Parts: sequence; structure tokens; C-alpha cells
Amino acid sequence: MDAITSLFAGFETALTPINLLWALVGVTLGTLVGVLPGIGPALTVALLLPVTAKLPPVSAFIMFAGIYYGGMFGGSTTSILLNTPGESSSIITALEGNKMARKGRAAAALATAAIGSFVAGTIGTMLLTFAAPAIAEIAVQIRPEAKFSLIMLAFVTISATFGGSPLRGLISLFFGLCIGLVGTDLQSGQARFTLGRPELLDGIEFVTVVIGLFAIGETLYVASRLRKDKASVIKLEGNARMTREDWRRSWKPWLRGTALGFPFGAIPAGGAEIPTFLSYTLEKRLTKHPEEFGKGAIEGVAGPEAANNAAAAGVLVPLLTLGLPTSATAAILLAAFQQYGLQPGPLLFITSPELVWGLIASLYIGNVMLLALNLPLAPVWAKLLLIPRPFLYAGILVFSTVGVYSLNNSVFDLFLLALFGIIGYGMRRFDFPVTPAIIGVILGPTAENFSRTALQQSNGDYSTFVRQPLSAFILFIVALSLIVPAVLKSRKASVVS
Amino acid sequence: MLDPVPPAVALPSSRRPISVPDLLVALGVVLLGVLLLIGTNQIATSGMNTVVGPKVFPLIVSFGTLGLGVLLTIGALRGHRAEPATEEDTDPNAPVNLASPGLILGGFLLGTLLLQPLGFVFGTAVMYFTVAFAFGERRYGLIAGVALIVALITYLLFTRGLGLTLPPGILKGIL
Repeated sequence: MDAITSLFAGFETALTPINLLWALVGVTLGTLVGVLPGIGPALTVALLLPVTAKLPPVSAFIMFAGIYYGGMFGGSTTSILLNTPGESSSIITALEGNKMARKGRAAAALATAAIGSFVAGTIGTMLLTFAAPAIAEIAVQIRPEAKFSLIMLAFVTISATFGGSPLRGLISLFFGLCIGLVGTDLQSGQARFTLGRPELLDGIEFVTVVIGLFAIGETLYVASRLRKDKASVIKLEGNARMTREDWRRSWKPWLRGTALGFPFGAIPAGGAEIPTFLSYTLEKRLTKHPEEFGKGAIEGVAGPEAANNAAAAGVLVPLLTLGLPTSATAAILLAAFQQYGLQPGPLLFITSPELVWGLIASLYIGNVMLLALNLPLAPVWAKLLLIPRPFLYAGILVFSTVGVYSLNNSVFDLFLLALFGIIGYGMRRFDFPVTPAIIGVILGPTAENFSRTALQQSNGDYSTFVRQPLSAFILFIVALSLIVPAVLKSRKASVVS
Repeated sequence: MLDPVPPAVALPSSRRPISVPDLLVALGVVLLGVLLLIGTNQIATSGMNTVVGPKVFPLIVSFGTLGLGVLLTIGALRGHRAEPATEEDTDPNAPVNLASPGLILGGFLLGTLLLQPLGFVFGTAVMYFTVAFAFGERRYGLIAGVALIVALITYLLFTRGLGLTLPPGILKGIL
């Protein structure tokens, strides 16, 4: 078993004291930003990118992986204790989790969420350990045509599934694509859309886009319609813990949630929303306590939380093996790889085995740390929800400013940041999902590169995309995933009217 | 938009009246598409021997944006409107208050302009103060104090701890 040998080598990398420290920093930060409203793992990794440029890549990615998993754990605390879910994938958790908390069962809800996340995260990481090298081996042979088609697939599924409207998702994607076009075209040396500004010749830093759309946009939007009543945070007494009965009712939903979540994360189908929703529906159907659903059923927390975390592990499969991010955080991790001059994809397993396996090993370690951080320390994290919002959002803005300014020490970047902040406000106000734009900014240039490579190999013959079998097959699925939802929607509409 | 909004009564009952903001956003996307096309036209196609020139991809993105913008405009004309997002700290029923985001933006731009002359600490402290004020905090002394402390700690953390260069401004020599 090659994977096991490589994994052991990975543990040797991840278990050095300094890397353990980075993992701890990562999971702590991750839980922190997961709990706090207004800031999430995607934003945090983007903010830390300029800062970590001097770290060795292995340590930086071990920290990022901790933030990635930690954000998931932290998010469930918020949705259980505060009845206003932020991330779309924790809406389902809030459904039953907050009801449980209101009935005085907050400790059990937090415990089943944390232990379920641990179980799902660990199983998901194991699946990743074995699936990733196998897929990478096949993926090495994928031709540029098919790589381009795969990116098209990710574009379409992510824009069409995130948010309510495929049209708005696609517009967000195209907005990202045009931001990605700004700057000097590396193949021809021509400036594109630079408006004559020398600052734009190197392109727009994606960190500025991410922080503007997420942090500044969010701050402006929340300020415009701030919740005036004090958000009712449910008080938590003692640790997160479960009774024997809770365990008995939780373990099956954990496993079922994992089984649903991982494959959905691994295929480019757009993140964790669908599997959490499916898991909730499944548990509702299978439960022996249907009367409790809608009033705080523990199965309704255990299943979706496991699905959420398993999907997070699944997302890493296409990211590491194909260089294909399927969530906003994954897209930023991809950009982080590129910052270090690494291109995620099948070759990564051959060129930087130490990094990949150190990263995978650190996921196991991070999961254990997160369980230890979340069960006994749950009351501490719960306190974070009480931070007065004026001070919280002001702090987020200041950190955003530092993050963007320190990229190039340029005031121009801060004006761009304000501009993207206004756009981020508009996207929230007019229901445009932000994730497709981020994916567009980061993957757009890659898509252009692959298409050009493919066309150069075929001497400019555009039919190469449909003549190469794998590429043709993927493009067929792309067409299907654009047409089928539209047809279903119009049929549904005609049935209704 | 000089055209008056068609009155709701003129439309069939199943249709909602056109929402002007939604229509403006849709037209904005169309405008972006047009501007992109103009911009694409201005890209020089050099004599460099490239099978696929620098214009191809921008052209696809321009036409895509334009087409999607047209679809969105048609939707808006049919009375489709966007539901504002709900976030953890927002109240969907709260009256929309555009003064607060405007204030934050103003504070941010002011802080940005002061960043070089006054230095990072005072620049970001201005930003911190305005955000906290815009979010409804009225204990001025407290915000000012916290703003300066946060800005100072951030400055020291990033310059001393992480080795980045941030403008010291008038505190040059003191910090």
C-alpha cells in the first residue's frame, strides 16, 4: 500500500513540534473565525496569504488546513447557539440545533455536532488518503482539452447550484472572469483592460477581490440592515457532552451523513449545501422519533453536521488531484498553492510529496485537536458570540486593510478594496452569490491557459474540444447541467400555473 | 432612467411591478458587457506568433456578460426582483439604512488618504472609529481608545512580529 507508506512519511512531516504548533494555530484561528459572524475560513486564509509568504509552504498549508476544518467546527457552534445561520451549509444545523438549545439541550447539540464532525472529518480524510493518489495517477494523463472542459464543468455546477438563481450565479462567475482578465496577457505580452493604469499591469490581486467582496461587502451590508435587538445567544452551562441515549441516536446519522457528504464534496457539484439538506431529509424519514423533528431532534443535527464535514474533506480530492476548487475556500487554497509556485494537480503528488502528504496527515491531527478544542472549551467559544458588533466589524475592517495594504504597500489597492466592497454590498443586496465570482477570478486565467495550450496543439482547430473523447464527454455533462435545471424549473412553473 | 415605471394596475395581477433598482442592476450588467467589448477592441494584436491571440478569451467573456445582462434585463422587465441576502447579524425586516454603509465607506477612504501622511496607526484608527460609530456605538471615548489600541497592536504585530513594512507616519522614530 503506497498510500500508507506515504501517509506515514506525511506524519513525520506533520508531527514536528513546529508544524504541530502551526496546526494548533490553524485550528484555533479556524474555530474562532467559524464562530464569529462576518468572517469565515475563506476570508481568513486570504488575509493570511501575504503574511505567510515567508513561511515554508508545508507549515503554511498545515495552518490553512487547520483553518479550513476549524471553520466547519466553529460554524456549528454559531448556528446552534445563535438562531441566525450565516453560512448556507449550516442552515440545516440551525433548524434542529437551535431548537435543541432552546429546550436546554445546547450541550448535547454541540457535542453531537463536534463528535459528528470529528467522525466525518476522520473518515473523509481516510477516503481522501486512498482516493487522491489513485485519482492523481489517472489524472496525469488528462489532456489540456479535458482540463479546460473540467474547469467549464466546475464553473457551471458552482454557478448554477450556489444561490437560488443560475442566471445570477453565472453573472457572478462572468464578473469574476473579467476581473481575472485585467492585466498583462502572459502569452502575447499585451495589456488588457488596464485603463492605462500601471498598477493594473500585473493584474488585480485576488486577495483584494476576496477581501473586498467578503469582508468589506459584508460589513457595509450588515451596517445597512443591522439587527437592532440583541441577538439572543443561548447560554451554555458546562461542557459539550452527550448522554448514552444521545450517542445511541447519533452514531448512525453520523455515518450516513459522512456517506452522503464525501462524494458530493468530491464531485464538482458546488459545496456542502446539497448533502446537508439530503442528510436532514434522510434522517427525518428514518428516525424513530418523527414527532421531535422541527422541535429539536438530535438526528437532525448529527447527520447534516457530519455531511458538512465529510463534504469539506471531499472538496480536497478534486483540489489536490485536478487543481479544481469547488468551494470559495478551496479556490483560495488553490491560489495559495500558486503563490508558492506550486500547481495543484496530479503532478503535485510526484513533485511535492512531502507537502501533499504532510498536509493530509495534518488533517488527521487537526481533527483530533478540534475535538479537544471544541468539547471542553465550548463555553469559551460561546462567549465569542457576545462580542459587541460595533467592535467586531470595526476590527474586521482594520485587519482587511492591513491584509490588502501589505500585499504591495499600495494605497491604490485600498481604493480597489473599497470598490470591491461596494460591489460586494450590491451582490448581497441583489442576490448574486459571491463564490462563483471568486472561482472565476482564480480559475479564469487557468482556463484560458489550458484552452490556448489545447488550441496550439491542434493548430487552432476549435473542434479539438469535442473530438477528444473525455473532453467531449465532460462538455456534454456541462451542457446537461446548464439545460436540465432550466427545463425542470420551467416544467415546475407550468405545473404550478 | 427617464421612462416612468409602469403602474402596477396596468399589469396582470400575477405580475409584479417592475423594480427600478433591479432593472438598473440588470442594465449595469449590460453596460459592463458593452464596456468589456470596447475594451477588448482596444487590445493590440501583436505580431507575436500565437495561435490564439489575446483577444479571444476577452471576447467570449464580453459576449457572455452581455448576453447574461440581457437575460437579466428581460427578467427585471417581467417584474422579477432579487431577495436581499440574510446574514447572521442582519434583520430582514429592519428598515434599510444607507447612511451607515456610506459613513463606513467615507471613513475608510479618509483613513486610506491619511495612511501615508499620518501613518498606519492613525489611518486605521479613523477607520475603526467610523465603523464602530456606524454600527451604533456612541461611547466616543471608548471607541477612540479601543481604535487606537487595536491599530497600535496591529501595527506592532505586523511590523515587529511578521516583518512587514507599514507606514509609521508622524509616529516615525517613536515606534
